[in-house]
Amino acid sequence: MIIFEYLADLFGAIPAAFISGILPIAFVVPYALFAVYWERKVSAHMQDRLGPMRTGWHGYLQTIADILKLIQKEDIVATAVDKPLFNLAPILVFAGSYAAFAAIPFSSAYIGANVDLGMLYIIAVSGLVVAGILMAGWASNNKYSLIGAVRSAAQIVSYEIPTVIVILTLFSIVGTLNLYELSEIQSSNIFNWMIFGGNVIGWKKIVLIPLMFAAFIIIYLTTLAEVNRTPFDIPEAESELVAGYHTEYSGMKFAMFFLAEYANMFAVSAIVATLFLGGYHSPFGYLGNLLGISWLVPVEQFFWFTFKGLGFVTVQMWLRWTLPRLRVDQLMTVCWKYLIPLSFVIFLLVSLLMVL
Amino acid sequence: MKQYISNIYSALITVFIGMKITFKHLFTPAVTIQYPDVRVALPGRVRNRLYVNMDDCIGCDQCARACPVSCIAIETVKSLPGEDLGKTSNGKKKALWVTKFDIDIAKCCYCQLCVFPCPTECIYMTDVYEFSEFEREKLVYSFTTLSKNEAIEKKQNFEKFEAEKAAQKAAPKPPAPETPSTNPQ
Amino acid sequence: MNLYDIIFYLFAAVTLVSATFVVFTKNVIYAAYNLLLTLFGIAGLYILLGADFIGIVQLIIYVGGILILLLFGVMLTNKITDVQIKTGVLQVIPASVAVGMLAGILILIMTNMSWRDFGLSTPDKTIGGLGTLLMNEYIIIFELLGMLLLIALIGAANIARK
Ligand code: SF4
Ligand code: SF4
Repeated sequence: MIIFEYLADLFGAIPAAFISGILPIAFVVPYALFAVYWERKVSAHMQDRLGPMRTGWHGYLQTIADILKLIQKEDIVATAVDKPLFNLAPILVFAGSYAAFAAIPFSSAYIGANVDLGMLYIIAVSGLVVAGILMAGWASNNKYSLIGAVRSAAQIVSYEIPTVIVILTLFSIVGTLNLYELSEIQSSNIFNWMIFGGNVIGWKKIVLIPLMFAAFIIIYLTTLAEVNRTPFDIPEAESELVAGYHTEYSGMKFAMFFLAEYANMFAVSAIVATLFLGGYHSPFGYLGNLLGISWLVPVEQFFWFTFKGLGFVTVQMWLRWTLPRLRVDQLMTVCWKYLIPLSFVIFLLVSLLMVL
Repeated sequence: MKQYISNIYSALITVFIGMKITFKHLFTPAVTIQYPDVRVALPGRVRNRLYVNMDDCIGCDQCARACPVSCIAIETVKSLPGEDLGKTSNGKKKALWVTKFDIDIAKCCYCQLCVFPCPTECIYMTDVYEFSEFEREKLVYSFTTLSKNEAIEKKQNFEKFEAEKAAQKAAPKPPAPETPSTNPQ
Repeated sequence: MNLYDIIFYLFAAVTLVSATFVVFTKNVIYAAYNLLLTLFGIAGLYILLGADFIGIVQLIIYVGGILILLLFGVMLTNKITDVQIKTGVLQVIPASVAVGMLAGILILIMTNMSWRDFGLSTPDKTIGGLGTLLMNEYIIIFELLGMLLLIALIGAANIARK
């Protein structure tokens, strides 16, 4: 917001809107490079290995080398694919996951678009990702790709239900769908975070805390499933489907899928952090307030935001290297028999509590 | 209902137990050996690249005959009566010029069968195991100490000598070069 | 022509062009993806008009739900049974009569309606008012729609069980 106003002063409103729309790219790309490296390191150390060690100190240049390799690679388009859709799909998937960043508040100084229906908007654009995945799977003209895409779509569509119900629960407490306002509600104190019942006071808060913890676990699981990560990664199950919907892709198009996957991981982590863990707010108060330097506060907020987001991404990786993949029927059992009823119960209890 | 709740409970608990285990492994030291910088100690009887100590080789061709994949190629020329080729380290007299001693290490299956028959124990396995090349020809190792010209010269010498011998058939016999008795092991 | 006009024409063009494609393409998958664009353009128009809730719900329900389901079905049947799913032209006369009547009604409404001009204003919060209206004035319609959906759901489950 402050950043947008500053840019608007500098260039005028319309160019400023464009620039602040591009800003998340400047975050997402380096983040994705780091996250790929981080995932390799985390997985390696969890398996008592070392991971990449030879490109730069402890292999920190490895992903850059990988990207350089991917750029140079031949862009193979098989003859039997449906060319227009095949070429469009990676862009659509990336656009869908990037669009979600527009409504995420990175700090009190920056939010792409401070829309009133921020959370709803994020849910809406995530539908584009599904369409893109289906497009990729179908256009590849490959049975593994198609099965992967169909599984992915089925999974995302089913897991969207508990996600939305939990989000609904949350908003029946705070009464706004705007993520910026939601973050502001959770300011000033760690016990104002939604996982501790938000800004509700009195005995209701104590009753809310266990419900909110359960809601938090549910939404964490469902978002994990929505980004197709292990244990919910049957769409990309390496051992049965080669690589799922991006089997046929190579070179930069593959890199787009990869980027979209990691961007998605951060997006859902950031959303979970914003919804439950105070968004960009620090749990301890700000150094900037202490020292009286006003510009330091947004910087610190950005730090805390990325810290929480990356923390959740790390937990996603941790889960990935801990749990085996679920079977399709188990996946659907978890969603329809456990998560959806439980989230409904939580929703009902919380709404009752708020009406009282 | 009881089953349902216990399912939820066990699912959560087992996930946390698993996560605890992987978390512990995060801090156990890695077992990775960083190969080009750190090497594993090789066991005593490893079989790797072959080496031939040509000072000791008497050109008996036994190793080539033992090789199951025929990757050793040896050509020898008899020495002339006057020439002294020296002795091997275990006291055998050398009587043949080894004009060619090529081992095609790309074919070699490291069976070590060539090592045992050698009477002078001059062909043996070293502990060098990194010898990849970009061209396959470079994997044909030539061990002979004679240069090409020398080899040709030796051959011509011998042919001349043979011709002379044929010319003076009636003359007293020159002492024919004898191959030393083979000594397996 | 200010920025809002440009955005309006952009969305309108996207909607129209993709809608024409939906009608004229022979490939069902292409039609479905063009439908996605059409719905997207319409959602954009809604949001431009200040009806952000409708726009986003349009995206969630039509793009995220119905269209995905549609694609899902088409893709599965197409690949599994190896039947090339293409559209053809049949029943030209009844269809053109129906379409002509519909277009006539729409044009009639468009010309006879007394449109009000609200000028350019950024949308206020709409969901609050919308929720209150739905829960008070239009509660019966809302509940009836809910019943309808429930009945549809039960029917679908019943068919699926056979
Ligand atoms: S090790 Fe075996 S294959 Fe290799 S040269 Fe000796 S006998 Fe031939
Ligand atoms: S067996 Fe030994 S001495 Fe005989 S040719 Fe081979 S290396 Fe030379």
